[in-house]
Amino acid sequence: MTTTDLEALATLTRNYAVFQARKSGLATALGGLMAVLFLTAPMYVDALGVRPMGHYLLEYLLLAPFAWLVLKTLLGRVLYRDLGEVKASPDAAYERRRWFWILGLALFIGVFLSLCILGFASGFLRANPAGACLTMPSLAALWLPLLYLAPTPWMLRGIEEARVYAVLVGECMLWFLASFLAFWSARPYRQSSMETASTVVQIVLVILLLGILVWSALAMVRGWKEHREYLALLRALPREA
Amino acid sequence: MGKTGTNPKAILDLDRIVHEPARLAILTVLASAEEVAFLFLQRVTGLSKGNLSSHTQKLEGAGYLETVKAFQGRIPVTSFRITEDGRTALRAYHQQLRALLPKEGKP
Repeated sequence: MTTTDLEALATLTRNYAVFQARKSGLATALGGLMAVLFLTAPMYVDALGVRPMGHYLLEYLLLAPFAWLVLKTLLGRVLYRDLGEVKASPDAAYERRRWFWILGLALFIGVFLSLCILGFASGFLRANPAGACLTMPSLAALWLPLLYLAPTPWMLRGIEEARVYAVLVGECMLWFLASFLAFWSARPYRQSSMETASTVVQIVLVILLLGILVWSALAMVRGWKEHREYLALLRALPREA
Repeated sequence: MGKTGTNPKAILDLDRIVHEPARLAILTVLASAEEVAFLFLQRVTGLSKGNLSSHTQKLEGAGYLETVKAFQGRIPVTSFRITEDGRTALRAYHQQLRALLPKEGKP
């Protein structure tokens, strides 16, 4: 056994441990695909001729981040554990970056919901000074997206998956807001509309949506590449004795 | 002191527990992770189950690794982790070997 062999053995073990810690690969690619499907969801709504609140499609979409977590866990169990578990040595920098994403997501949801509630409350109070239009339980429903934070510290073991989850939840927040607006809208079909939004908001939304599209494409490519690298790593292992 | 300037006693002083190729491979793998499952260790070293068990027992006897037994559902899973003594021994072995090897360009 040469020094090169030993170095190769150590590298192989470290790479395998990293794959196992992240359990990404296909899950990242799947997350990218789901983000694209999310982005184009209004098209299906229109194509199907259904209105958001008149159909359960939107509610299913809101459950998508949880569905992705379940799929990710299943993929992790099936794909990245077939040679036994290898726990990577603790990496403080990696852990810090993972927590940066989780806390960033929590902060985003917190600020987003607080602004929504303040906006709704002030809007309704302006329209109805008596304040009878918006009941407390309906306003409390705005806090429901906080449930997205519940599984984060335990189920998001890698940075890549924390990033995918943050994007999916971010998209869901937009849909959640649209759903909420549609429900409280006085329009005949209870449908929210972009036409009432200011130009600045429209530009921000378009930039956001384009950003998500680019990210999704990159995530799919990166995820697939990572999965191929994992398969190559398995092939590099010696045959059984 | 030998002809090449190497002290023959230094060669004999090499840790024989670590010096054996299979055990050296096992310790190298364990030093690259926090905890390694038996299955992975067997696959990556290319050893048979019996051979691997015998070597890990020797390393455990020397205090270089510890065995972790757990259950995944109903399936018992054996894993290993290198001890601080094991890390020190592996590091010392590498240093000793490096000191014994001829410098580049010198036969």
